[in-house]
Amino acid sequence: MTQTAMRTLWCAYAVVGPVGEDVRSAVGAFELVGDADVAVVTGRVPASEFGDDALALHLNDRTWVERVAMEHQAVVQQLVPVATVVPLRFGSLHRTRDAVEEFLHVNRDGYLAALERLRGRVELGVKVWLAPPPPVSPAEEAATGREYLERRRAAKQEAAERRKSIDGRLRSIHERLLAAAEDAVLNRPQPRELTGDPREMAINAAYLVAAGDDAVAVQVDLLRTEHPDLVFEVTGPWAPYNFAEEKDA
Amino acid sequence: MSSRELATHQGPAPAQLADVLERVLDKGIVVAGDIQINLLDIELLTIRLRLLIASADKAREMGIDWWDGDPFLSGRRRDGNELEDRLRRLEARAGIGEAQEER
Repeated sequence: MTQTAMRTLWCAYAVVGPVGEDVRSAVGAFELVGDADVAVVTGRVPASEFGDDALALHLNDRTWVERVAMEHQAVVQQLVPVATVVPLRFGSLHRTRDAVEEFLHVNRDGYLAALERLRGRVELGVKVWLAPPPPVSPAEEAATGREYLERRRAAKQEAAERRKSIDGRLRSIHERLLAAAEDAVLNRPQPRELTGDPREMAINAAYLVAAGDDAVAVQVDLLRTEHPDLVFEVTGPWAPYNFAEEKDA
Repeated sequence: MSSRELATHQGPAPAQLADVLERVLDKGIVVAGDIQINLLDIELLTIRLRLLIASADKAREMGIDWWDGDPFLSGRRRDGNELEDRLRRLEARAGIGEAQEER
């Protein structure tokens, strides 16, 4: 097959259902492949970027990956207010529309089950950040080597104790939020290289809730008052990315 | 700003790039297209990003490992060795050492 600049592929972003008029208008320029019960949200992407050889190169280009991920999320997010959305992980690429139809046909039962399981659900992201440790003031700098070592030992011990007490608090924070949600996934805290934030992330969690249910947000408000030294961040509502794959699959 | 406002009205902002990468590349239903994508490529990409996102050793170094081995707290967390096993398998298949684990 010759590859021309105009060739396009089909990228699948999410599964939605049932497919009403509101869903049809929300997808805009993207295309729904399927029927009234379940459809795959797809869009055409250039083969020059997503085709066999080009893709392998692009996957190593962080800027490209970031752009494509943001686009994927934008397609998924626009459906969140109007439908139950089961997001697909990036990378579902097909040569033809027929291939997308075949893809849906093969996976139809699983997708219907996922839609049923996640009906009306969204996920809220909750992150908890630690305040940076207090800086050592120049006046406290040690005069002698021995003093320096003693201070270092004391500081180390203090840090360990602080960590121990924080661990207990983090645990109870997650328990409170889990009790306010239907399900939860604890992801590893994102490193500073990824967040670009000087603070240290201690909790990076997703909570599954019914759309419009603010129980988790209410708990976060309370927790903020109870733990003034921690910074809480709530994101979403997102499509239930963290819950799309079945638990015991 | 209250969390409730955040929770109910704020769609993901551009600043949440890390959150988007984590979700779009590492979450969602895993599917294979009709052979267009080289599965090895996408798995390696995912693993590279997971190492960056997860950075398990770094988290452990910071003492943040309190969910490990606690099925209640970790919710649906998968076996922690899965990633490493998969990485080794893929590396063997690809004949490379993509991920530099610092141990």
